[in-house]
Amino acid sequence: MSKQRSQEYRARVLNALNTPRLQDALHRFADAYVVSRENAFAGKDFDALRQAVGEMKDEVRDHHQRYIDQFVANAQSAGATVYFAKTAQDANDYIAGLAREKGCKLAVKSKSMASEETHLNLALEKADVKTVETDLGEWIIQLAGQRPSHMVMPAIHMFRDEVAELFSKQTGQSESDDIPHLVAVARQQLRQEYLKADIGISGANIAVAETGGIALVTNEGNARLVTTLPKIHVALVGIEKLVPTLEDAQKVLDVLPRNATGQLLTSYVTWIRGAVPCGEGDKELHIVLLDNGRSALAESPHCKDALRCVKCGACANVCPIYQTVGGHVFGHIYISAIGIILTAFFHGLDKAAEIVRACIGCRACVAVCPSNIDLESIILHLREVIGEEEGIGVGKALVFKKVMRNRKLFHTLLRAGSKLQKPVTRGERTIRHLPLFFSSLTEWRALPAIADTPLRDQWKTIGQKVEKPRYKVAFFAGCLNDFVYPELGHDLVKVLNKLGCEVTLPLEQNCCGVPALYSGDRETATVLAEQNIAAMLAGDPDFVVTTCPTCTMSLQRDFVDLLRDNPVWAEKAAALSEKTIDIARLLHEKLDAGELLKGKAGPVKVTYHDSCHLKRGAGVWREPRALLAGSGREVIEMAHSDRCCGFGGSYSFTSHPDIAKRILADKLKDIEATGADCVAMDCPGCMLQIRGGLEKKPARIRAAHTIELLAEVLDD
Amino acid sequence: MDHMEQFIAAAEKVGATIRACSSGEEAGRYIAEHADGTVLLPPQASLERTGLTEAISRQSASLDTFDKQQAEQAAAGVTGANFAIAETGTIVLESTDEAVRLATTLPTLHFVLLDPRKVVTDGQAAIPYLRQMHASAPRNYLAYITGPSRTADIERVLTIGVHGPKELHILLLENLSDDFLES
Repeated sequence: MSKQRSQEYRARVLNALNTPRLQDALHRFADAYVVSRENAFAGKDFDALRQAVGEMKDEVRDHHQRYIDQFVANAQSAGATVYFAKTAQDANDYIAGLAREKGCKLAVKSKSMASEETHLNLALEKADVKTVETDLGEWIIQLAGQRPSHMVMPAIHMFRDEVAELFSKQTGQSESDDIPHLVAVARQQLRQEYLKADIGISGANIAVAETGGIALVTNEGNARLVTTLPKIHVALVGIEKLVPTLEDAQKVLDVLPRNATGQLLTSYVTWIRGAVPCGEGDKELHIVLLDNGRSALAESPHCKDALRCVKCGACANVCPIYQTVGGHVFGHIYISAIGIILTAFFHGLDKAAEIVRACIGCRACVAVCPSNIDLESIILHLREVIGEEEGIGVGKALVFKKVMRNRKLFHTLLRAGSKLQKPVTRGERTIRHLPLFFSSLTEWRALPAIADTPLRDQWKTIGQKVEKPRYKVAFFAGCLNDFVYPELGHDLVKVLNKLGCEVTLPLEQNCCGVPALYSGDRETATVLAEQNIAAMLAGDPDFVVTTCPTCTMSLQRDFVDLLRDNPVWAEKAAALSEKTIDIARLLHEKLDAGELLKGKAGPVKVTYHDSCHLKRGAGVWREPRALLAGSGREVIEMAHSDRCCGFGGSYSFTSHPDIAKRILADKLKDIEATGADCVAMDCPGCMLQIRGGLEKKPARIRAAHTIELLAEVLDD
Repeated sequence: MDHMEQFIAAAEKVGATIRACSSGEEAGRYIAEHADGTVLLPPQASLERTGLTEAISRQSASLDTFDKQQAEQAAAGVTGANFAIAETGTIVLESTDEAVRLATTLPTLHFVLLDPRKVVTDGQAAIPYLRQMHASAPRNYLAYITGPSRTADIERVLTIGVHGPKELHILLLENLSDDFLES
């Protein structure tokens, strides 16, 4: 790992965390975005739309030469000149060369992320061509000498007073910070530039193979001026923008504005095919098709779906990390989840190495992606690649490879930990303060102590009260449940026994492997998958139940993925995946627990926190609410109930505790605002985070696992 | 809600002004009342055939030009429409003729004359016509126009009329044209 790179990155994170105005703005934006997006998709089947976009884009990716050829032939026959640029340098050289050859002095540009990707403005400057950005946001950041912090709203990190200052410098007089006035200044200032310019440069949102034309999706009208007024038009187009037909282009239009800005359609969609009339003659149209890593991405089995991206920017809008540090930290040229992946392929792994670890894995981006990209899985894969290239760090490597793979050693060390922690726990269940250089970890969150006796060592003492079991249920406890919250195991047995299920705890089970996998150690994760499959299937249970949704995802999804090509294990992994179910869904859907629980609880006010991997991994969120409400409790919804709590395993301990702390603060604010006495959740990780945060607060709000709340209302 | 009602609702929602006119005279009067200066009036088949070009020119100083500096000074642009899309409140306009582009991008006002018969339900329903428009000429510049020009690039505050028209007036006029290939 590059030490200097990491240090610079840390400095950027800290700087962003000390900019509360930015965080406020991004939080407000995120709230407004969710509402407008929802309205824009009202009456639409989002999943069907995004599946259609994904399939269409895959078709192009898998046969891209055919579609490129078709596009080029049609564009050329309409009078366009098409240049294929293999690299960013090729594209810049071509455009700068053209400008020089034609004696161009001034270029006006409409917004193009591809030109940001290639640093085109810099190349034009070197060729003595003055370049003026005309999209308002782009112009602002050009004047500020910055780069976009968002794909759709490039200047979202800036404020009216800063814009007024920049514009005042530009006009040489004092401009007020009234936004309509600033917009009028931009209109007036840029109007003359369009008229004077020798060359107009645009990107393209869509390139249609059927017609050889491009489509531009814009709101301001600047792209229409850029592509109309100057004699020469250059369109810089990433080859992933290709679609086969006009109907396919419409599929993109059906999702792009809705998902980007919550608009049914942008003010303008401009379809340009060929060299259209300009003045006395025809316009000169040059289309530069940009590869720059896209073909390599198409060949990557794990990452290729990223080419489906339509660049709507939604993965940033909903991302808690983006909301906390902004796009200048969480991105390179392209930002947020998709930015991590595109950066790795377009700008190199080194440029992506820090931001790849900044993802907390909450899958909020996956839920809103209009092209159906499993961004989180791709990011995980890149983390593995970087782990292999750069190493995952000596400490982690030791823990994963030497300790975790050896279950007995791992568990012995955890038991020893429970004894060693005594001086700081003072015999209590939580650690409120850690000494010396660990102190920052407990400043904002109390940490639970490792239990005196893990669940596995208590198991024999738990009497099972069920005569003729309807189902045999094997419990996959996961490390937190086993070693930190063993009481949840007792609760689970109590409830399941009452519903006629016998519960076993296979003792050979080990860590689910997620910590290793999320840190980039695929090898250890695979070893753990095999150990766990053998352990959990041994007694041939009807269900394998979990209380931790991250374990659920691991058993349901990751094991299958890790062992897909292993003839010995693939089928067993699929069998385990099939049997795995989280406790809330098991109770609600398979065991019909409603009858048993009905009206057993008092009308306590409970709010519910959706754990990322439960809602967006397992698709479970109605079930726990139904169980809690059915038991007689009053369930009050909190704002952002499905926003990450900031735990993320090692994310909140070692990699990004300072970001995790801010995300937790947001969550606690939402919980407190409900006035509930208790916050329920279905994840021991979230419990560690939220309970730890609440313990540092004066107000006493209880944080509990749903199974705990269900068990306590049943008679012993 | 029929297509036309849906179109009107969607277009008004994005800031367009809709006005039903009972005659070309009335449309011309409306334009003259709203446009404070020269009106760019590029040749439009439906307007010429139905005497609209004449009615507008009589009531406003009009100009057909592809001189950019001259067009920049004009107060308004007037065009027909090939057709409209109900769901999004969109006008579809063949803009390959540069004079049409200048008339619809540079002035602060854009008046569109639309025959209410020419409305399709949604974007996908527009595609067959879009394809025909592509087929009718070897090169094209085809525009979907949905409300006036807008931006939210400063602090996400919606501001109307940044680089393009600040106002979009859609004048509904019967018996103008039922041909989706002409504007």
